[in-house]
Amino acid sequence: MTVALDPDEHTVAELREAVGEIDDPDELESILAAERDGRNRTTAVDAVEARLDAVREEADESGSGAAADDLPFDPGEHDVSEIGPLVNEIEDVDTLRALLDAEAAGEDRTPVKTVIESRVEKFADEGEEPDADELDLAEMSAADVGNAVQDIDDGDVLRGLIEREEAGEDRDSVKTLVQNRIDSVEGEAEQELEPDLPPEEKHPELDHPTADKRHVRALEDGSYGDMWVYCETQAGDLVDVSREMLGKARALMDGYNDEYDADEQVVAVLIGDDVADLAADCVAYGADVVVYHEDARLERFNHKPYAEVFCDVARWGGDPGAGNPEPADWRDYDEPRYVLFPATNNGRDLSAQVQAELDSGLASDCSGLYIEDAVISNPVKTGGSNRTFERVLHMKRPDFSGFEYSTILCLDNPGREFHPQGASVIPGSFDVPEPDPEREGEIVERDVALDDDWFRVEVTEYDQLEGGVDLTGHDVVVAMGRGIGDDPTRGMELALDLADCFEDADVGVSRGIVTGSYQFDGHVEQYTAEERQIGETGQEVEPDLYVAAGISGAIQHKVGMDDSDTIVAINTDPEADIREFSDYFVEGDLFEVLPRLVDALESGEVDMAALADGGDSR
Amino acid sequence: MSETIDDATGASDEYEQYEAVVVGCGPGGAAAAAALADEGVETLVLERGVDAGSKNVSGGLIYAEESAPYTIDGLFPGFREAATERPVTEYQLHNVAGSQVKSFDITDLHEHDTEWSDAVLRRKMDSWLAERVHERTRETGGGLLTEVKVTGLLREEGEIVGVTCEELDPIRAELVVAADGVNSELARDAGLMDWEEPEEWFQGVKAVVDLPDGAIQERFGVGDGEGAAHLFSGDLFDGVRGGGFVYTNEDSLSIGSVFHLDSVATELAEPHELLDALLTHPFLGQWLDDAEYAEREYSAKLVPDSKKAALRSPHQGRLVVVGDAAGQMQAQGPIIKGMNHAVTAGGLAAEAYAQAKARGDTSRAGEFYERKLRDEGVMEKLRPRRYEVASALGEPEPVANLADAVVDSAVGRFGVRLLGDRLERLYSSPALSMMVPDTRTPYVTLPTVIAEELGAPVDETNDVEPPELADRIGDLTYDTDVGNPHIELLDDSAAASGTAVTACPVSAEGFGGGCYRRETVASNGEREEVVSLDTQPCIECGTCAVVAETDWEHPRGGKGVEFEEG
Repeated sequence: MTVALDPDEHTVAELREAVGEIDDPDELESILAAERDGRNRTTAVDAVEARLDAVREEADESGSGAAADDLPFDPGEHDVSEIGPLVNEIEDVDTLRALLDAEAAGEDRTPVKTVIESRVEKFADEGEEPDADELDLAEMSAADVGNAVQDIDDGDVLRGLIEREEAGEDRDSVKTLVQNRIDSVEGEAEQELEPDLPPEEKHPELDHPTADKRHVRALEDGSYGDMWVYCETQAGDLVDVSREMLGKARALMDGYNDEYDADEQVVAVLIGDDVADLAADCVAYGADVVVYHEDARLERFNHKPYAEVFCDVARWGGDPGAGNPEPADWRDYDEPRYVLFPATNNGRDLSAQVQAELDSGLASDCSGLYIEDAVISNPVKTGGSNRTFERVLHMKRPDFSGFEYSTILCLDNPGREFHPQGASVIPGSFDVPEPDPEREGEIVERDVALDDDWFRVEVTEYDQLEGGVDLTGHDVVVAMGRGIGDDPTRGMELALDLADCFEDADVGVSRGIVTGSYQFDGHVEQYTAEERQIGETGQEVEPDLYVAAGISGAIQHKVGMDDSDTIVAINTDPEADIREFSDYFVEGDLFEVLPRLVDALESGEVDMAALADGGDSR
Repeated sequence: MSETIDDATGASDEYEQYEAVVVGCGPGGAAAAAALADEGVETLVLERGVDAGSKNVSGGLIYAEESAPYTIDGLFPGFREAATERPVTEYQLHNVAGSQVKSFDITDLHEHDTEWSDAVLRRKMDSWLAERVHERTRETGGGLLTEVKVTGLLREEGEIVGVTCEELDPIRAELVVAADGVNSELARDAGLMDWEEPEEWFQGVKAVVDLPDGAIQERFGVGDGEGAAHLFSGDLFDGVRGGGFVYTNEDSLSIGSVFHLDSVATELAEPHELLDALLTHPFLGQWLDDAEYAEREYSAKLVPDSKKAALRSPHQGRLVVVGDAAGQMQAQGPIIKGMNHAVTAGGLAAEAYAQAKARGDTSRAGEFYERKLRDEGVMEKLRPRRYEVASALGEPEPVANLADAVVDSAVGRFGVRLLGDRLERLYSSPALSMMVPDTRTPYVTLPTVIAEELGAPVDETNDVEPPELADRIGDLTYDTDVGNPHIELLDDSAAASGTAVTACPVSAEGFGGGCYRRETVASNGEREEVVSLDTQPCIECGTCAVVAETDWEHPRGGKGVEFEEG
């Protein structure tokens, strides 16, 4: 037979067309062989093979069906890369298994088998719970049963299995395995608690047995409710982490009330001097109740009185186990169910003392919180058997510098309760919620008699750390950019002159100044430091008036000043980006415009014409 | 982890110990880590980005070579379905002179030794790989940690015994795989690599351009599972030696230009303008609609020229170097392959370690790795002997100029006309491609002459207006390490570092919002030209480390630019 066609002489496109005319598989085979011996172009080979497939398929359809017809495709005829998409269209596990067998019997490529196997697993996994009725226990080994029951979540079904096993082979191993599964899905039935024994009887093997430490004011069978948030304040305002915790507490308790069909609340606690005004803020950020205590002596954080006040509030209206419960009409439980503190210096200090005083535990420096039930098997907590603890606050905290997380649970022991479940929260872990000024909440003042002894530590002196320059909060900010390059020192002098014209103004700079090589004379150099930078990596300001002189207005600068009420830009380049977000744009050299602006302000006459002149009229 | 960091007292025997530490989770690192895990080796992978791929850029084609011992989909089944864009089913080379274009179909060259080749976007690809790597390394007691920057090699009595990190205590390992990319700090710590010679590097600049649904099928005439690759050479770039590319992604285009860095430096070319020259060429009018034109991301990277930079012995002590970090980037005429070689190298490094371990001496892994690179033919691809012979003849200046003159002469032009379409065959010869010298002749003069003599004028128009550099920078995501710049300018004189103002892809002459800016400073009555640096807009390509006097490091873990396409 002569080869009708030398593939070497044709482009792939020509070849594709030419083979389209050929119906003889043998001829196609010879062309394929010629291509493979010759240039061996992948697309050319594909073209010929595709034609071959088409021709053979036609032949098959007219001829007899082969066994392989049961399969949607023959894996042997496809590349590994083609198998994936093909297999992903198949959902029938049996078909997939048949494909797997075909591959194993054929080319037996590991990646192909992996792809098919993972698909099989997917559908085997997705399948419904195995029908327990279909499990033929007598036919199964104990291990088989153990595996099979892992997919069954219904305790009644599992108990049915035990009954059937008892009626049948009655193997202990099988019954234990099924019981284990019941325990893990349901939590084990409450165990009888060991009676409290004196230490000598409990630990006869020890020379000097001692009793477990007990707190004198521990609760027994206490009732608990609500999520409490200690709201730290600073300089007369809530610190951000207080808002973050209120937002998180709100979300957690909304979910909690849904999940447990409950009506528990978020309670904010404010302690300090003159904090009542912040109660409305706490409500706006998510609190249902705000309890506060004010005293002039509590102006600054002080460990002992703050802890005493907090614990007093926490026990108010409850049964502290000792002393006289004082009724509170806004609550009906002994102690808070959950408490959150900020993981700030003061918040950490307070949290440790408060949680010790309330005879509970503390998960410090947490960054994630959620509430759900937990099935626990632990020698101390449950005597080793499975038990479901309900409504457990799961407290996630970073370990290993944040590369791993632990989830801390604070659980009652048999005979000893650990409530409130408490955490301190790393600032910034949660978003500050949008305040809702319309929210309504109850505001309660707690009167506590402060014992003088609590003030044995006295704050005699304090200093606000130099936090650098704060440009926020001024009426006017004058910002300078690289337009000062011709005479940097003079440029900064002009900025200071202009700022002096206003009652409450300060001077900032763009990042270009901070990172530039400009040489400044000593008297203005301090105004060009990084602490005065405005923009994405500096400060964000929103004064009434923002004057931007010689600043082009890159996006990184824009984000630092875009919210200013009025923006006046001075720039020699009329195309500068800043023009687009300025209210007034003066095209001109700042060395000419600024002096005229200063003159005008000092004389009290703003001569717009003169100003415009200095700016080459615009 | 076998022990906690808190317990580490600082004494070296208290450090965390892993069998292997892989630095960087790009394709080279991922391949090494997966292959090591498959060998049962306890492997820790450290990645400095917030997510694997967030620091990585490539032109956009990954190959699986028929002759290669490892391919990415072989190591990671399901790779093509999950992590790539479109396969390349059509490959063309366009010679450009003004608006004259002569196109050659080089699909044959592209398919030589190619099992498959797909366009990729690195954020998607690398983060998918990273998940697989984490799963597999966990199996053998290791895992992947992101946002950890490895700062250098841990040495004891002069021997490499592990790595030091910015965020963690030092970590000891039997094997250190440096897969930390083109600006590898480990390879430099070991003294294997430097940033000295611009001739050893290319600089690539890329825009990922958004296209509407269905536009790729329509405008490129490809079907759903198909895609196209187009290369450009000629006088597009004002005599700067290099070329351009357009690759089709799922619903976007990767359009970029790649240049010899020495040419970018000496011509004082602005890389973003070179890219714009390609983006606005009339020929691209058939693919781009000026009304809808939108860039998803602007990016750049340094590319090693394996012919000159690939390490023949990419190892030292217990350190092995793979991928870009070892200069394993094959850019020879229209053959542009990097990621596949990194994958092969990663696989071979793992194999070498397993072999060394089996022989009872893990310190021999590097030696075995070097031998495998040679035996498997990787080194021959990276550093072809044909090129070494040809360049001895072709690259010295007088000869290069002569070749230029001949091609451009009446005789040469006659030859081009005479050869006509046979040139297409010549371009499609892998052997020829691998030996072309790096002079102007193949990159600029010859394509220009071909286009002038054989080309047809383009009748499309292209009114695309690419964004300003300031907007391109503004659209990128940064987590700036405020107060802790990662690059220090050692010499701010214009003579030493002025080239960075033009060569840096996020700086430009007369542009104040970039990394490098030229400023005139008056001091002691003298006016002096200096260069200032702001690392905030830095996209970590490493160009300035080569063309300016800097102390260059990567930013700390998780800091700096974060690419979303890559």
